[in-house]
Amino acid sequence: MSADPREAYASGTALPDVVTGAAAPGAGAPLQQANLWRDAWRRYLQNKGAVIAGGIFVAFVLFCVIWPIVSPYDITNDPLNFSEAYETPSLQHPLGTDKLGKDMLTKLALGGRISIAIGVGATLMILLIGVVYGSIAGFAGGVLDNIQMRLLDALYGLPYLPFAIIVLAIIGENNIWTMVIALSIASWFTAARIVRGQIITLKENDYIRAAKAVGARWYRILTRHLLPNTLGVLIIAIFLELPGVILGEAFLSFIGLGISPPDASLGSMAQEGREVYRVHPYVIAIPSIAIAMLVLCANFIADGMRDALDPRTRETKEH
Amino acid sequence: MLSRNRWLSALLLSFVAVLLVVGCGGGDDEGEDGGGGEAAADQTLKWGLGAEYVLDPGLATDTTSAKLVLNIFDPLVKLDDELNAVPSMADSWDVNGKKVVYHLKTGAKWSNGDPVTAKDYEYAWKRALSPELASDYSYQLYGIQGGVEYNECEKNCAALRDKVAVKATDDKTLEVTLTSTQPWFIQQSAHSVFLPVPQKAVEQFGERWTRPENIVTNGPFKVEAAQPSASITLVKDANWRDAANVKLERVEGRIIVDGTTAVQSFEAGEVDVLDEQLPAAETPRLKETPEYELYPGLGTTYYGFNVKENITDVNQRRAMSLAVDRQSIIDNITQANEKPADAFTPDGMPGREDVVAESSPWTPAAGDVEQAKEYMAKAKNAKKKITIYTNEGAPNKEVAEALQSMWKQIGIDSSIKILEWQQFLEFLGPPPPKAVDIYRLGWVGDFVDDINFLELWTCDSGNNNTGYCDKEYDALVAKAKQTPDNAERYSIYKELEEKLTGQEGALPFIPLWYITYPNLERESVKDTFKINLLDQVDLTQVEIKG
Amino acid sequence: MTAFIIRRLLWTIPVLLLVILLTFVLMRQIEGNPFRRTSRAVSPAVQQNLERKFNLDEPWYVQYALYVKGVFTFDLGPSLVTRDRTVNDIIKEHFPKSLELGLLAFVWAIALGIPMGVVAALRQNTAYDYTLMFISNVGYAVPSFLVATLLIYYVSLKAGLLPTNGWEGWKYKILPSFALGLLPMAYFARLVRGSMLETLQQDYVRTAKAKGLRRRRIVMVHVLRNSLIPAVTAMAPLLGFIITGTFVIEIIFSIPGIGRYFVTAISSRDYSVVMGITVLTSVIIILANLVVDILYGILDPRTRDART
Repeated sequence: MSADPREAYASGTALPDVVTGAAAPGAGAPLQQANLWRDAWRRYLQNKGAVIAGGIFVAFVLFCVIWPIVSPYDITNDPLNFSEAYETPSLQHPLGTDKLGKDMLTKLALGGRISIAIGVGATLMILLIGVVYGSIAGFAGGVLDNIQMRLLDALYGLPYLPFAIIVLAIIGENNIWTMVIALSIASWFTAARIVRGQIITLKENDYIRAAKAVGARWYRILTRHLLPNTLGVLIIAIFLELPGVILGEAFLSFIGLGISPPDASLGSMAQEGREVYRVHPYVIAIPSIAIAMLVLCANFIADGMRDALDPRTRETKEH
Repeated sequence: MLSRNRWLSALLLSFVAVLLVVGCGGGDDEGEDGGGGEAAADQTLKWGLGAEYVLDPGLATDTTSAKLVLNIFDPLVKLDDELNAVPSMADSWDVNGKKVVYHLKTGAKWSNGDPVTAKDYEYAWKRALSPELASDYSYQLYGIQGGVEYNECEKNCAALRDKVAVKATDDKTLEVTLTSTQPWFIQQSAHSVFLPVPQKAVEQFGERWTRPENIVTNGPFKVEAAQPSASITLVKDANWRDAANVKLERVEGRIIVDGTTAVQSFEAGEVDVLDEQLPAAETPRLKETPEYELYPGLGTTYYGFNVKENITDVNQRRAMSLAVDRQSIIDNITQANEKPADAFTPDGMPGREDVVAESSPWTPAAGDVEQAKEYMAKAKNAKKKITIYTNEGAPNKEVAEALQSMWKQIGIDSSIKILEWQQFLEFLGPPPPKAVDIYRLGWVGDFVDDINFLELWTCDSGNNNTGYCDKEYDALVAKAKQTPDNAERYSIYKELEEKLTGQEGALPFIPLWYITYPNLERESVKDTFKINLLDQVDLTQVEIKG
Repeated sequence: MTAFIIRRLLWTIPVLLLVILLTFVLMRQIEGNPFRRTSRAVSPAVQQNLERKFNLDEPWYVQYALYVKGVFTFDLGPSLVTRDRTVNDIIKEHFPKSLELGLLAFVWAIALGIPMGVVAALRQNTAYDYTLMFISNVGYAVPSFLVATLLIYYVSLKAGLLPTNGWEGWKYKILPSFALGLLPMAYFARLVRGSMLETLQQDYVRTAKAKGLRRRRIVMVHVLRNSLIPAVTAMAPLLGFIITGTFVIEIIFSIPGIGRYFVTAISSRDYSVVMGITVLTSVIIILANLVVDILYGILDPRTRDART
């Protein structure tokens, strides 16, 4: 494993990985893939916190996906009804209504959709760029690796949030896609480093050497052997990055660079609610609780997955 | 084992204790606010400001800066409550066709002791027109002969500078020659860009002359301290020409950019006046407090159509205007008791009762959906899928959503696009981009004559983003500019207004409401702190009651 | 080690050039006119005057060259919007406030986070542990603009203990630094707890226990010291986060810091200020990373040679 301390935490200037600050788990030998995953699943199920967090997370995602479809309210198309503005929770509106008389429960589901979509989208983008960049460097080695790593050193100097802000200002119109780009553009560097480290470690493994010896093509080795073995790390990384992205989006909403209305994310809902927190506190409480819940669940899931996928990290979380 | 580790828990507890102790140290002096009529001993006004300020009169563009500079420099004329020009540094003035002469008071001094002379005004006006300063408000001085030419010069600038027809013939006489008769010029010269600047300091310190250690002023208040982006402290200038009538001793301005925090700060007693930062969402609650105060403003908020390319049929524009329930938007969204607009000329504009003798038929306050549907049916090539453009910021988005919902009732589907302010302005043109069907903007008066509003809709106006162009309209505007007689001019304005919003008007925009300025003012200053129609404050009138 | 430091310092030069180029190219893509702030159109003459004044009429490579020259002579140019101040003035006035805010937040984070982590680890799986970890989770998961708003409401407005906003004396600094410090506090608490638990399992700790050393001494001398290594190495990126992440707190508490100024500069299209602040933060991040590498080498000699 690389000894670079920067790999001991997430993105240089992004939100640090709060869970344990653990190093990238070492790559396990790829002996029996199926077995490994089954064992991991079993170990995950033993972790009560992680199971509960996973359950809540899945339930919330399902709620966000399904509820707007079955909800009696169509937030974007129903006519405005000011006489129903700021109603407190009732049977018709279990979470009350907002300023324009819209049902908060439906709004929450739509906001959750967008926040999760941005979170997952940006995380996938971070990983995608990171994996491509890192595996090229790791696999190619030599001069190319050197150039890529020096470039990465340079990119580490980019301040994450200022860059996100500049990028958003350029695009102007803030929809899900532009938010994803802004939030991932300056935060894939650590992912790239981790992947490179993994690939280099794996490359030295006997079975890769064996594969090479029998003349397997490099991309076959890459896709068949190397990437599957980094999969576990990547899944953990998704859940580690997710909170940072969701909170980052909320920050950007605060300064008016979040998702453009009439779409709303949890962050922009919280920002809206902040203006009326004195009179209608539930308007801010609902999205905030949802954000906190998502962030915490993601943390616990990442925690549980790490323990499950790489039991050794339990003993050697830090070095 | 647990007991042996108690010290560690104690460590944590002690941190909490420190937090509490530190917290408890803070609760002290809270001023009592009685409503009584006696002047308080401490004449300090604590003023919540909404934005970064600029203290150079030539460069001030926002209202915060304008409010400050109008109180630290001495304008030739001020505007009274009815927006009439009243003497300030100028004792009197003569207007003779294109020739305007100001007669200045004598004996006034700059804060460094130098006498204030007509030369200072001449210098300041020419400076505001200079291409080097590149002042945003230089166009306010385009009414002066030679003004445009100097402002646009590329070479021979020095010669063109001398040709600008403003001249201090002696220390107390300022002569101006205008390009045409401009009956509003005297009132216009109450604008901040017409304030004098201290030539010596400006030449010595360059652009840094406005820093607190360099600045020289000649107004009722002088700058004692200024922390960029944070605060500004003004103190009464005891040597000011009329200092005897200034009650206020000190003004402590504090910049609070976030509206929610600003209200909290007011309620915690840290500021006495909050005049820019009330979040619309908070107004229903604040309206019920005795500190709430509402001032009318000279401004119109409207939604402009892209008439050239997209919403070409006047019947569709009429229908869309008829469908708007202005009252409901005001009552439920903007919440600041704005007046529903029934024309473009705003309330409070001199001569408005003649200009807008009757309300536009297309702007019933509560809307008229039935009639709207009829006109929509009459419209040929109606565009039923439209895009609304508005800028970022609190009520804009909700207003757009409300309009979206109202236009749905007459069969128009709209999507909303929101851009950042400066991006939005650049995007709108003119000429209007094809993507825009309708956009939100407002116009706030620079000076007190309807020409300032009506000129907006001429063919080559830089602020006409609709593509509306009517040569007759332009001819009428040109004619109005040459008409010194008020009654005569107002009747031309009436024709102009008819062409815009009248029965047969082209209706290139939907007037929505006339703006207001909601304030929070402590009861001790509520009687004397006033904001006029142009959003200006005269601090010499303010007195803190005990 | 010295050679390593020198090499890294030299390396910052091309890095900076790249950052400047990137920011420069990106800034030029932003729509919006820095000279049009109100709905009033700017006349073409004025626009032209202003562009000439700020060299915006030059081709981009000339502007870039001028800017790079400026950066290396420590002159970041004039602000396009706040005309009586240069970018140097702005940074000089506002940056120290952000730095102070960040450092104070850091003090909160260390002063509360580390003891929380230690206590939680020593009392693993007790009510203490759960409560402290719950607090730290909340500190991490709740957006800071909410925490700040609630702190102002309860502490300043309801209890009247502290001022609601401003940056004038120590009283003004408590709430904002605490609100900003919550996230790193949560981070430290979890980090220290994790590494404490791990160190407690190590052989030498067990040996020390077996030798009958007092637990308090074991904790102080062996466990705590070794557990803090990851915390130290985490400081630099956290510092980077704090410096760039202050803008929300600065806006809410009306602190005249550089983060708030950056946001204002972006929306007013004040190109030179945006560039200046970005370059400054980049330098800080680069230096912070350098410091971490050096610190890491000192604290954990094993890694010193492994590095290239």
